[in-house]
Amino acid sequence: MNRQIRQLAAGLMLCYMLLFVALNYWQVGRQEEMNARFDNTRAVRREFDQPRGPIVTADGVVIADSVAVPPGGDFAFQRRYPTGELFAHVSGYYTFAFGATQLERTQNDVLTGETGEQQLRNLPNLITGADDSGSVRLTMRADLQEVARQALGPREGSIVLMSPRTGAVLAMWSYPSYDPNLVVSPDFDQAQAVLTFAQNDPRDPLLANSYQQRYMPGSTFKVLTTAIALTNGVTSPARVYEDVAEFVPPQTTDPIENYEGTVCGGDLLEVFTRSCNIPFAQMGLELGVDRMAAGVAAWGVGEPVPIDLPRPAASTFGDTSALDQALPLLAIRGFGQNDVQMVPLHMAMVASTIANGGQMMTPYVVDATLAHSGDVLATTTPTVWKTPITPAVSATIASMMENVAAEGTASCCIGLNGGVPVAAKTGTAQLNGPGQPERSHAWIVAYAPANDPQFAVAVMLEGTDAEISASTGGRLAGPIAKTMLDAALGLT
Amino acid sequence: MVSPAPIARARRSTELSLVVMAGTITAGAYTLASLGEFAAIPARIIPFLALLLGLLVLAHCAVRLFARGADPTLLPLAAILHGLGYVMITRLDEELAGLQTTWSILAIAAFVVTLVVVQRATDLGRYRWILLASGLGLLVLPLVPGVGVEVNGARIWVSLGPINFQPGEFAKLALAVFFAAYLAERRELLATGTWKVGFLRLPEPRHLLPIVAAWGISVLVMVGLNDLGSSLLFFTLFVVMLWVATERLWYLLVGGVLFAGAAWASFRMFSKVQTRVDRWLDPWADPQDTGYQILQGLYGLTDGGLTGTGLGLGSPSTVPYSESDFIFTSLGEELGLFGGAAFLISYLLLIGAGLRIALRTDNTFEKLLATGLTTIVGVQAFIIVGGVTRLVPLTGITLPFVSYGGSSLLSNYIILALLIRLSDASARRRHELPDDPTPGERWQAWRLRRRGAPA
Repeated sequence: MNRQIRQLAAGLMLCYMLLFVALNYWQVGRQEEMNARFDNTRAVRREFDQPRGPIVTADGVVIADSVAVPPGGDFAFQRRYPTGELFAHVSGYYTFAFGATQLERTQNDVLTGETGEQQLRNLPNLITGADDSGSVRLTMRADLQEVARQALGPREGSIVLMSPRTGAVLAMWSYPSYDPNLVVSPDFDQAQAVLTFAQNDPRDPLLANSYQQRYMPGSTFKVLTTAIALTNGVTSPARVYEDVAEFVPPQTTDPIENYEGTVCGGDLLEVFTRSCNIPFAQMGLELGVDRMAAGVAAWGVGEPVPIDLPRPAASTFGDTSALDQALPLLAIRGFGQNDVQMVPLHMAMVASTIANGGQMMTPYVVDATLAHSGDVLATTTPTVWKTPITPAVSATIASMMENVAAEGTASCCIGLNGGVPVAAKTGTAQLNGPGQPERSHAWIVAYAPANDPQFAVAVMLEGTDAEISASTGGRLAGPIAKTMLDAALGLT
Repeated sequence: MVSPAPIARARRSTELSLVVMAGTITAGAYTLASLGEFAAIPARIIPFLALLLGLLVLAHCAVRLFARGADPTLLPLAAILHGLGYVMITRLDEELAGLQTTWSILAIAAFVVTLVVVQRATDLGRYRWILLASGLGLLVLPLVPGVGVEVNGARIWVSLGPINFQPGEFAKLALAVFFAAYLAERRELLATGTWKVGFLRLPEPRHLLPIVAAWGISVLVMVGLNDLGSSLLFFTLFVVMLWVATERLWYLLVGGVLFAGAAWASFRMFSKVQTRVDRWLDPWADPQDTGYQILQGLYGLTDGGLTGTGLGLGSPSTVPYSESDFIFTSLGEELGLFGGAAFLISYLLLIGAGLRIALRTDNTFEKLLATGLTTIVGVQAFIIVGGVTRLVPLTGITLPFVSYGGSSLLSNYIILALLIRLSDASARRRHELPDDPTPGERWQAWRLRRRGAPA
């Protein structure tokens, strides 16, 4: 029997050696692969038990931070958003159950201290386990963001204020927003209810309308049409357009009218200042499909707006593949109707381009990332995204936009305090078809001071009710743009 | 009264120092787990230390008094497994921790009682038929309406008033004793083939019958209870004991073939078995449902890596039954490969000590009983650790001494007490210490003397 017992011992020992091999296989051999599995929440859980740095605005307001919670809860820290809905579309939220969005997602490595540089810096503290969480400093200013919120009020729309020379975004607000504090609530059921409610809201408060949504731009698009026409020599400041109320484009008998059927014409400055439609329809037709398509592409239309936030929308000129068989549509698109859709942030960049001598800067909200010590890890260097026009064309359009502000469609409401010179272009994008109740988006793009541009702004009010339908962009959006520029320039 | 025996004294002092080490490691782990989870020294550290020390000293004194020649490593090995398991349970679930404390006290009590009651291991053999009957009775008990309770698809629980227990845990013990006794008596008859069936030479049917019956019934009942892990354990236990007793490899091979057949049949018959095998082969086919437990367990192990997350710092509670069947992944997550390997080595040492007892004694019954009891612990730990590491298909069974559960803890401490008793007996047989009469024998002798000498 002893022989069998020894064999049994050997057999069991073999079995346990297999267990040891299996243990090695999982705990050492397959570690990386297993940790990358999507249903493996352990790394995320651990992250939730680590300190996470704050997100701070340029004027020092904390928009996201973490506080330690008493031991015994699910996690050691609770994320807070002290400014509530104000920066929700920029900070996003950071949750265990629903993932992370916006900067909480894209800047995760910095905030948790997991970038290579942070790890390297923290090497001496490896044993003590010192807090190595980083922080993110924004280009945005909380005071201007608050001004934007107050100016827009409970109206659906977006406001983007940026620096034309750098692309730095100073305010970017869209209503409706949401309170990320509710989404990161430790009460899972409540958080889920809030998210479900927001997702079912047709106004889509979770979506940052300022850079994740696009709208018909109306007459503000004439800036692009004019720029493309000037660049291609299709128009010039000397060109005079006939005084007409109607224009019949090719391939149709349906005439194109000016706004409210008025008679409108004159030289380029006059038709731009009065925002006649017909001259811009003619510019579109004279350019033709190919030159128009190439022209808008030079402005970045068709590409996602290159902001340092996730999932930005792309502006669009609409489908151009069969447009030469539908020239009336090309004509209408010349003044920003039909299938043309622009992202509000992109329109602010268009105004910035004129203000910046023809160079379109890459927009950004992250000014710098900082280590826990406060040392700067990285700063954002302004870069040129597109150069769609020459300085000469830019100067021509700039003078026309100044005229719009001084005596054109924006003259009612854009006059800045202290008489600081300003440039603007309004837009009213008609959403209703013939015979339907009137409904329009109200737009304005502007920059100031016109002689030394510091700030550019785009304001868009969604055409949701009759108030907006009855107005041109100037009257509704103009005062908001004025408020923003006044505040940014410190004018009282 | 007690005869001097230097070797016994040496063994007991070795045991005491090892037990103190096991206690120190447990107390340290208890403090670390609390520091990891709550960043504070545990609030109940004083009562915990008192209870830990009290139980360890009590168990040690029981061995010192009633089995002083026994192997000194058995109790410390059980203590370290039990202690670290307990720490993991307290770290996972406060409520279960309280219950496990009660179970721990009861288990040590059962350990002491077993040592006191079973003073001569060979006496157990006398009760083989009673043990067979009670073993089978215990197995069938969960099937009795009104008494049996089904939990998670397995009908292995019995609820008698306030007491809930898993009779299967005790049935395996009773059956191991029966088999040891029966085989010790008839091993020669079973080893010689006198009954010709075709070209095979089998033992006489009447010798084979009780074994086949006990085996068949227990396996059938286990399949009826839907408890595959225990069924596998029984199968292995019987086959191993038959093989060791008869010295015929034939039994092991036939047992293996029969097992393969039974496994194939249950695979074809029960969807639960099919699911288990499917998830063993590919747990990612259904990561949120049937594959969830094993995957989360594996994620825990991989997350632990070489050194583990540290006690109280992992998230083992994402695994269902992280405190019982899956406690090994909880430990592997927080203590790492090093900790997991320490557990495997502890079991190997326990197996080694158990089989050494079997080798050292020349009493056939004691040999077989030591083999059987060691096989239960060794194979049971292998089945569940192999299951959670995807070495073998997963079958729910507790990790001896470590998992949460009163029945499991109690039966394992009884096994431990019996092994210590067998170890002590073998030492006496080898004249390593004088074979003093037990208190029971002294009492009988005293009675005989009184009757024999009336004058």
